[in-house]
Amino acid sequence: MTFARILLCLMLLAALLPVARPSLAAGGEASVPSGPTAGLERDWTTLPDDEQELEVWDPLEPFNRSMFWFNDKLYVYALKPVARGYRAITPEPVRESVGNFFKNLKAPVSVVNSMLQGKVINTLDEFTMFLVNSTLGLGGLFDLQDEHGRRPTPEDFGQTLGHYGTPPGFYLVLPVIGSSNSRDVVGLVADSLTAPVSSPIHGKLQPVEVAGLKAYDTVNGLSLDKDTYEAIKRENLDPYLFVRNAYMQQRQARVDK
Amino acid sequence: MRSLQRFLIVAAGLVLLALPVQAGPSPREQVQQTIDQVLEVLRNKAITGQPRRETLTRLIRARFDFTIMSQRTLGKYWKEASAQEQARFVALFSDLLEASYIGRIEAYSDETVSYLAERVEGDMAEVDTTIRSGNIDIPINYRLVLEHGQWFVYDVIIEEVSLIKNYRNSYGEIVRKEGYAGLFVRMEEKIRELRAAPGKQGKG
Repeated sequence: MTFARILLCLMLLAALLPVARPSLAAGGEASVPSGPTAGLERDWTTLPDDEQELEVWDPLEPFNRSMFWFNDKLYVYALKPVARGYRAITPEPVRESVGNFFKNLKAPVSVVNSMLQGKVINTLDEFTMFLVNSTLGLGGLFDLQDEHGRRPTPEDFGQTLGHYGTPPGFYLVLPVIGSSNSRDVVGLVADSLTAPVSSPIHGKLQPVEVAGLKAYDTVNGLSLDKDTYEAIKRENLDPYLFVRNAYMQQRQARVDK
Repeated sequence: MRSLQRFLIVAAGLVLLALPVQAGPSPREQVQQTIDQVLEVLRNKAITGQPRRETLTRLIRARFDFTIMSQRTLGKYWKEASAQEQARFVALFSDLLEASYIGRIEAYSDETVSYLAERVEGDMAEVDTTIRSGNIDIPINYRLVLEHGQWFVYDVIIEEVSLIKNYRNSYGEIVRKEGYAGLFVRMEEKIRELRAAPGKQGKG
């Protein structure tokens, strides 16, 4: 019985120790006056995670910067005013449905690329969503799986190339389209062959009509946006560098997924 | 009888051993606590203007570690900087982040935040959240470090883009080209600009 009691006491002690340790440490360093970092010895300038930090290769920076400038003007003086006028005369539910419609049109590209990367579940999810939204969702106007939470991740040919080891190459700012890189430009061309809107396979649309649809998609998207670009431009020391890095990081993350 | 007793004691001990793991607040709880407090302030129409801004600043400064964020942002340049330059950078960087984001935070109104998975590895953690704005879900992950029993944010990943890594890239390039003097001038200018025209956000 006494043995059991000693055992119990020991266990209690052992159990309490991990709790006591942080508070001991905190007490020991209480004399250090500076901020919350005082107790940390880790070298924060490099974390293991930084090993894979991407170096952005931008040999065309002067050209890219001028394209960035051009796109900025296009946005400020053309796209945004149009989007603002359009928003004023179009109710939000309509604009959301238009957004859904265009998003649904992009699903086939995503299905093809999911398949090319051997992502079976994503392919099925994407395909099911496309079928459901195209039929019950009245041609994609309503996004019926919106409430379910699990959303397939969109895939494009740039990601497919990345998946099989193609590096992003150099950064490139395209007129109108914006951020890209040498790999993703190839992806854009390839995807335009499978996209219902632009594909020459069922191509009944003239290039001008395709461009018109793309412009409408962009304007509609902007009408639903809360000035993301304006905020980026306002807040950053060099918006070009911010956008460049954000694009490359996001593409890398999507390839890795 | 005796073996049952022993079993019970051992079981009790095991339960107690397991407890301390969950004893501290989880990173998700702490992130949620701060965000809930911020949202509460935003929804309270009785507090406006400067007092509201000060409350928000206090809440945010209590959950973010600006020193670590500064070290992460400058990376290798941090070690080359003098103690004075380091201190100056931390001060400017905190002010700049605050001037940038307070306007954006204040623009939030009917957004809802969902708290998803958390991953803890020793004294580091990542908490996944999504913020629903209109009919779009924006994924926002917080990276945290445990310091004296409290979790502090040292990076925010918005739509798969790490803010600190992004800053590291731009700030590194500016330091390389213009040195600290150039960087500080730019930062000061930006802070002045942002403060002079506080974020006119929202649907504009």
